[in-house]
Amino acid sequence: MNALLARHRAVLLAYLGMIVLLLLTSFVSQGFLSGSHLRTMAVLSAFIGIVALGQTFVIIGGGIDLSVPWVLNCAAVLVTLMANGADGPLIYAIPIALAGGALVGALNGFGIALFGVPPIIMTLAVNVILQGGILIYTGGAPTASAPPLIQFLAVGRIGPLPVVVLIWAALAVAATLLLSRTAFGRYLYAQGTSATVAEFSGVPTLRITVLAYTLSGFTAAAAGILLTGYTAQAYLGMGDPYLFTSIAAVAIGGASILGGSGSYIGTIAGALVLTILTGLLPALNLSNGALLVVYGVVILVTVSLASDAVSDFFAVMTRSFGRRDNAQS
Amino acid sequence: MTMTLPSPAKSVAKRDGDAARDRSTWLIDRAPFLIACGMLAVLVAIYGTLREGVFTFEELNLDTAAAMTLLLAATGQTIVLLRGGIDLSIGGMISLGTVLAATQFGGSPLQVAFAALMIALLGFAIGVCNGLLISVLRLQPFLVTLATWSILSGTALMILPTDGGQLPDFWMAFGNASLLGVSSSVGLLVLLILFWVWFRGTRLGIEIRATGSNQRSAELSGVSILRINLLTYGLSGLFAALAALYLTTQTGTGSPTIGKDYILPSVAAAVIGGISLFGGRGGMIGTIVGAFILTIIGNLVFVLSVSSYWQPVVSGVILLIAVLASSLAEKSARRSLS
Amino acid sequence: MELIEAVGISKRYGGIVALSRADFRADAGEVHALLGENGAGKSTFIQILAGIIRPNGGTLHLAGRAYQPANARAAEAAGIAAVFQELSLVPDLTVAENIWFRREPLSPIGTVRKRREREATLALFDRYRIPAPAPTREVRRLTLAERQIVEIAKALSRDPSVIILDEATSALPPRETEWLLQLSQDLAAEGKLVIYISHRLAEIRQIAQRVTIFRNGATVATHDTAAVDDETIIADMLGRRMDRLYPPRIATATDRTALKLRGLSVGDRLADIDLDLKEGEVMGVAGLQGHGQRELFQALFGVSRSRGAIEVWGKPVAIRSPRDALVGRDGIALVPEDRRSHGLLLSKSVRENLTLSVVPRFTRFGFLSRSRERALVDEQLRTLQIKAGTPDQLAGTLSGGNQQKVIFGKMLLTQSRILLLYDPTRGIDVGTKGEIFRLMRDLAAKGYAILFYSSDLPEIVNVADRVAVLRNGKLAAILSGDDISEHRILREAMVEARAA
Repeated sequence: MNALLARHRAVLLAYLGMIVLLLLTSFVSQGFLSGSHLRTMAVLSAFIGIVALGQTFVIIGGGIDLSVPWVLNCAAVLVTLMANGADGPLIYAIPIALAGGALVGALNGFGIALFGVPPIIMTLAVNVILQGGILIYTGGAPTASAPPLIQFLAVGRIGPLPVVVLIWAALAVAATLLLSRTAFGRYLYAQGTSATVAEFSGVPTLRITVLAYTLSGFTAAAAGILLTGYTAQAYLGMGDPYLFTSIAAVAIGGASILGGSGSYIGTIAGALVLTILTGLLPALNLSNGALLVVYGVVILVTVSLASDAVSDFFAVMTRSFGRRDNAQS
Repeated sequence: MTMTLPSPAKSVAKRDGDAARDRSTWLIDRAPFLIACGMLAVLVAIYGTLREGVFTFEELNLDTAAAMTLLLAATGQTIVLLRGGIDLSIGGMISLGTVLAATQFGGSPLQVAFAALMIALLGFAIGVCNGLLISVLRLQPFLVTLATWSILSGTALMILPTDGGQLPDFWMAFGNASLLGVSSSVGLLVLLILFWVWFRGTRLGIEIRATGSNQRSAELSGVSILRINLLTYGLSGLFAALAALYLTTQTGTGSPTIGKDYILPSVAAAVIGGISLFGGRGGMIGTIVGAFILTIIGNLVFVLSVSSYWQPVVSGVILLIAVLASSLAEKSARRSLS
Repeated sequence: MELIEAVGISKRYGGIVALSRADFRADAGEVHALLGENGAGKSTFIQILAGIIRPNGGTLHLAGRAYQPANARAAEAAGIAAVFQELSLVPDLTVAENIWFRREPLSPIGTVRKRREREATLALFDRYRIPAPAPTREVRRLTLAERQIVEIAKALSRDPSVIILDEATSALPPRETEWLLQLSQDLAAEGKLVIYISHRLAEIRQIAQRVTIFRNGATVATHDTAAVDDETIIADMLGRRMDRLYPPRIATATDRTALKLRGLSVGDRLADIDLDLKEGEVMGVAGLQGHGQRELFQALFGVSRSRGAIEVWGKPVAIRSPRDALVGRDGIALVPEDRRSHGLLLSKSVRENLTLSVVPRFTRFGFLSRSRERALVDEQLRTLQIKAGTPDQLAGTLSGGNQQKVIFGKMLLTQSRILLLYDPTRGIDVGTKGEIFRLMRDLAAKGYAILFYSSDLPEIVNVADRVAVLRNGKLAAILSGDDISEHRILREAMVEARAA
């Protein structure tokens, strides 16, 4: 039991922090825990959570994906332009956009695994190339609005539950199964823990890397499509906030940025924490700037709590306390 | 005991072979830098054929002014990368620096000088904090500086929610001041190069490269890793503050969001110029070349009167070429040695 | 009074005694050889001299005064410079920068005076006739031998009164070896003390006046080199040993060839190896450190690129990666040298480590079957008697012996019938060692073919059916039957074929 607690300490901390934040917020802001407000927050969390899904896989595998903002943006723009406000073309527009995102991810993976390009540089370069590409393609001002079906997916409800949250839940179940119950997940953790040991154990490292980045491209594209429904149209720069939030959600969720540990359950908590903070600050009459400061502090604190240095410190403390107890008895 | 000594002729041949191998590894080692120089030359040549008066002092002044903020930011980034780290917080520091300059500069030159000095010191202090967090909490530089980037950007936004503020005229005149046709920006560039030539030759400069190259060997030889972290991130913060101050001479305002435009380009400029993300390898001259490449691309796009959106595409492609070249060069070097 | 007087030095690591009652006396103006098997305590002793570790007991005097260096720099200040096998050079600095690292000649503005540094380097090379690479070359581009020479130059640059050379010639080609031997004599003639650690008796005879022999962490004897024969030295090194550790050797080899190598070469470190490993056979691979054993094992597991032909169970194969080696029953599995960085995911559970190489064996329709995995894990935990609280215990928290058993279990699960065991008993307790040897014999009886290297020679002698001895990357001899003795192996591995 203790061991279980220790291993999932980071995830538990994230959820604990989330609950404390929720309670705190409900004190300062009336109606914060109302159904409609919670729904809004769940929807906003879903977008972060879906982008962060692929990011979780990539980070667990020991990499990082900086190309999510413009993969997301490209998918959003392409789908709205292809559909041009009508539901009919979505039948091919959505698959094309998702496949495109996956393809870009695969490209990242090949560059990294085959040519040894550092992940930061590979995905950064792909990001700016996509940025320029889509700007050129659209001339800087896309106009098409999101078709009704996508709007339904993003803001519609089935019963009391927003559709996008249901989609997120389905993806979350799939991601958790993938990580904990498949060979791919097993290999991914192994590779993130030690690429050398994975190689010596016969893990297909090239395939695993490519798959992880492919998944990240796919989820970024999916989030982009859904996000157009929420904002009613695609606009340029809509993906920019998601670079920071996707990495922050994974880090707050207890994954090590060096790879090998973390879970999607943790990332969900990270996405929720980030969203609650966003909702908390207007209630406290704090500006956008204060939100960024709080984001930074929260990342530092959660990451420190999960760090080796701090756990060593706690271990030493408990041991010395334990000794004192022994001496007394 | 009999020992066969190699005949003199053979050993001469061997030495010639060694020399040839030395030359080829010398070339391979500098391949990323040389490729960057080649790309810059090609870009300048294209630019020169498309436009009159490219090879004049005036053009140099303009381009240097355009590149200088990035150059200053990339100088700090280069130092951190050589140590084997990365600093994303410079984006926040640049924003904060411009905002502080726009709000805290008084009217008199003395006040301005004092405020500018304070901003520079603040940059250094914030960098030292980054180094401290990384060393003491044993955290990843990427995450620590991502968090401090957020904190600094937020602080900038709290001080000045939108672009604005007032800067004295004489301050803004600095960027355009010139002496005998050489602008203050070119003067600054010369200073920067002199700084680097001095810095890389100091014992600290060598220790930083050694730490980035192999932390354990450096530590065994008595290098304090804590000191190296404090100083490298401190210098990075200092240069980010200087970049912010220079930026205000060009824009005349404070901007709480402008810094993010310099984070990844500062890494890109260094990598294009041949700095390895794994630390220890490369130099500031490469970074300068990289920063000018990124700047000239902007000019070219303008002169070709194609969409300005081509700029990121071309930058990204050049970044990929540069990093692929260095990874292929490393592979071929390994093969030729084994 | 001699220059160095060490009496009763001891050093413990936790419960393990690395050094007990080590005595050592050496005087200025001599080359003093230090001999002993791996694990005899030589490295621990010279690390104490060099200030890298501190002893638990005993007294140490340098030139008549008590000597207790607090760290490596204190030892350097006292005039002791050591050249270790684990190289301390910085790859991205040049030869000159490395030699003078943190002692650079500085100009008034704090920069390194490069020209003076280079001149000092060349003067140093000149003074000791060092066959070193150009001062401006970067260390990461140097060969192992060149790095070793730079390391020696770095030690000499401090102008030490005591210089310690730890297996310095093991990485050097003949001409450079000759230089180092001459240099050692010259230094002694200048009145310095050279402590020379080597396994090469011929070298020791050539240059050393005295030789001190360590065994099991204690000093056995100090001899005048001229007055002692090889037999005595080897006998002192080996001592008399208890051999209960080893299971009876029952020949189980068949006529079937499991692994056939023809002309296998790796770079310039391993050349033209022809070898036949039989079904049911344990073949030992012996040789002094750095004579090609590592390259042989790496090549067979696809970690190093090799030339030549490899046949597995009669079929020619190309092994370019561990994935090519780990192909089920007809595959080749490796227990690697470095358990912590090549063998185990320390922060993952015993269960995940055991099954990492055989994930497809318990995957159905893409999903892992926990029960099937559990069955595989339980089987290995039982047969190998791995002492883990639960299969979910982290591998990093196990003892060294149990960690090694986990790696064995992982390799056995792959069902590969050819096993490469690279120093599988290094740093583990005697009880587990015995279990591992019994396991090896059991596997051989079941038809496995085992290639086995150990840094501890008696293990090879007592476990292997045949022994392949490597020297300078070439196959020096294949011993079998009564020819397998430490004496004979050492002779084959050490005797220098000096005539080219």
